[in-house]
Amino acid sequence: MFLTRSEYDRGVNTFSPEGRLFQVEYAIEAIKLGSTAIGICTSEGVVLAVEKRITSPLMEPTTIEKIVEVDKHIGCAVSGLMADSRTMLDRARVECQNHWFVYNERMAVESVAQAVSNLAIQFGDSDDDGGAMSRPFGVAILFAGCDEKGPQLFHMDPSGTFVQFEAKAIGSGSEGAQQSLQEMYHKSMTLKEALTTALTILKQVMEEKLSSTNVEVMTMTPEKMFHMFSREEVEEILGTLAPISKEDSLAGGVSTAREGVSA
Amino acid sequence: MSSVVDPFNKFSYMESGSQRQHFSPYADNGGSVVAIAGEDYAIIAADTRLSSGFSIYTREQSKLFQLSEKTILGCSGCWCDTLTLTRVLDARMQMYYHEHQKLMETPAVAQMLSTMLYYKRFFPYYVSNILAGLDGEGKGCVYSYDPIGHCEKSYFRAGGSAGALLQPLLDNQIGFHNMEKVTVAPVPVEKALAILKDGFISAAERDIYTGDSILIKIITKDGIKDESFQLRKD
Repeated sequence: MFLTRSEYDRGVNTFSPEGRLFQVEYAIEAIKLGSTAIGICTSEGVVLAVEKRITSPLMEPTTIEKIVEVDKHIGCAVSGLMADSRTMLDRARVECQNHWFVYNERMAVESVAQAVSNLAIQFGDSDDDGGAMSRPFGVAILFAGCDEKGPQLFHMDPSGTFVQFEAKAIGSGSEGAQQSLQEMYHKSMTLKEALTTALTILKQVMEEKLSSTNVEVMTMTPEKMFHMFSREEVEEILGTLAPISKEDSLAGGVSTAREGVSA
Repeated sequence: MSSVVDPFNKFSYMESGSQRQHFSPYADNGGSVVAIAGEDYAIIAADTRLSSGFSIYTREQSKLFQLSEKTILGCSGCWCDTLTLTRVLDARMQMYYHEHQKLMETPAVAQMLSTMLYYKRFFPYYVSNILAGLDGEGKGCVYSYDPIGHCEKSYFRAGGSAGALLQPLLDNQIGFHNMEKVTVAPVPVEKALAILKDGFISAAERDIYTGDSILIKIITKDGIKDESFQLRKD
């Protein structure tokens, strides 16, 4: 396997004879080391829930930010290399503000995903105004937003491909979580149901015990727009979750992220 | 005054009676635009005379530009700037359509036009713009601009060479300004059209850059209806 790869996995812009871009594929693999993030879209709004890996008891958990506000009507959850995600979220914010400045209206969620995608595929580019990124971004993003089409959820991977989803999981626990989402999701879900579903699944796939310090929750509704849950609000939902039995837990199947890299 | 050769005068090469030639990039081709918006309609009208000084280039030049099914722009001033501005505007709207997979709403066009004009703050398009159309809810709206992009939303506006003659009439008859014992109510289309035509007839009496005929476009949810009306031709 490595014999065939060795020649073609160096240059980010070089296709292998089988027609693959290994660096992009490796970047997609890198996401699977990141913390789990779950997004569920309902007719009432979108829910994002993300696990925060507290790698040391001396760590200040509030400084890990995996759900961010891009504009009043768009929030993002990220998984992968957090440093890379800053660049992409900054682009998303700039595009939103520029759209407001020029057109005096909110940018559509799909358009924001498109704009960030344009940045994601610029790796390896170099021109007169300096090179862009020398490698693909190691991040997957969930865009949760409300525009004139209503609540929407988009997923984007390091290749820049973005697809709309009703429910999507990214990160280390994504395989198990996506399976659970497929079983539990239905179109007539309420926002409240989506919240408990997202956290129930997160509880199943997380290695650490789910608590109000190691999870971030956000809702995006047409009424309240971006709403980040306070510690108290998270605790309130956690209290309503049914305790899960040992065999329900999906954690432990996937290895932990590399130490030192905040994935 | 004869030219005295003075080797110590650095301007001695200048002959008497010589003139410095200046490049003047702007022309004033005149024209007037009026727009009136109601609850569910917007009317925009412009005269069709294109002139320069005392000469008339044409008596049948439309100054109205249909940007979409719900938005029309009226331009007067420097005609070459109008041509460039409207072409760039069309291109920008096409790009918006492809980028966002939807048609631009009138308020979005209004804001974009403002930024486009301001981006030429120090070499402006010498154009007086009035934008009329229906907004996202189907209500009529009118936006007026100065040449460097100041934008104001209103329900009636006159602009161009006879703007100062037409606006007070609209203020009084459509805005009910300076009137006592009147019930201020939205004007129906028929009345708006009548006031608009009367206004243009009067403006053509005094303003030599307004005349020949007017083109009227009535925007409703069912589409755009064209109308024309003759003015004095001298």
